[in-house]
Amino acid sequence: MIDFEDQLRRALARQEPSAGFADRVVARATKRRPSPWANWRTWAAAGIAACLCLGALDLEMEHQRKIRAQGEAARAQLIQAMQITSTKLHKIQKKVRGSS
Amino acid sequence: MTNILAQEAVIGKAVSIADRSQAFEAAVREHQSMVFSVAYHFLHDHASAEELAQEVFLELYKHWDEIESREHRLHWLRKVASRRCIDQTRRRKYRNHLSLEDAPEPFTLMPATDPLLNRYIEQLLGKLAETPRMVMILRYQEGLEPSEIADLLEMPVATVKSHLQRSLAVLRRKLSFATREDES
Repeated sequence: MIDFEDQLRRALARQEPSAGFADRVVARATKRRPSPWANWRTWAAAGIAACLCLGALDLEMEHQRKIRAQGEAARAQLIQAMQITSTKLHKIQKKVRGSS
Repeated sequence: MTNILAQEAVIGKAVSIADRSQAFEAAVREHQSMVFSVAYHFLHDHASAEELAQEVFLELYKHWDEIESREHRLHWLRKVASRRCIDQTRRRKYRNHLSLEDAPEPFTLMPATDPLLNRYIEQLLGKLAETPRMVMILRYQEGLEPSEIADLLEMPVATVKSHLQRSLAVLRRKLSFATREDES
């Protein structure tokens, strides 16, 4: 007669899982997960891109400012030249009237 | 042997990912039958048992640096496997609602060495409530002492002994019908 507890031990004997079990576990365990660095890099790249955009915008605004200043200066010079011409013409007109 | 030595070398130490993977693989191969069998005898479903066993090992991989020795690892695996089995069964209502007391007697008389008898015993164990079922598995699959089972399942030793006595009594009574011809 087989002892009852022995019968239980036989019924509960260890069994092996299906073939390739360990390989599947290792593959799952070592599968690359998205690294927090990838996230950090994305944010850093976005930050650098934003800085470059702001820099380019600033350069463009500076360029526009220079063009505007040059235009203002040219306008002022033109006005001054016209004033000088007007003064000289006025003097010449006086001289012409005085001699006649 | 080399694998075991490799595992020992990396337990509790900062090592390269390759060394860690190699040691982990060796640990899986060493303990896979224990973890799988605990799950299989508890759940009675091959696919669910493999899935649970995989989850236990993935948990081990996560906590690899906390494992101090081979003994600690074995204890850790038994503990996590037991807890996960009980939790999963409670969560998914795996348990067959028919109690062991209400389980039908076998239709035919079986000799004590019949593999069908083993299956019948497994079926009867499956009717036990989660905790006594795990107590029986740890006692008769793993050969653990009641004090070790109490430590794993975090319960008093007296409770473990009580579960063992009650489960054995019911199983004996159920099986006496199946084996009475052999006994007489």
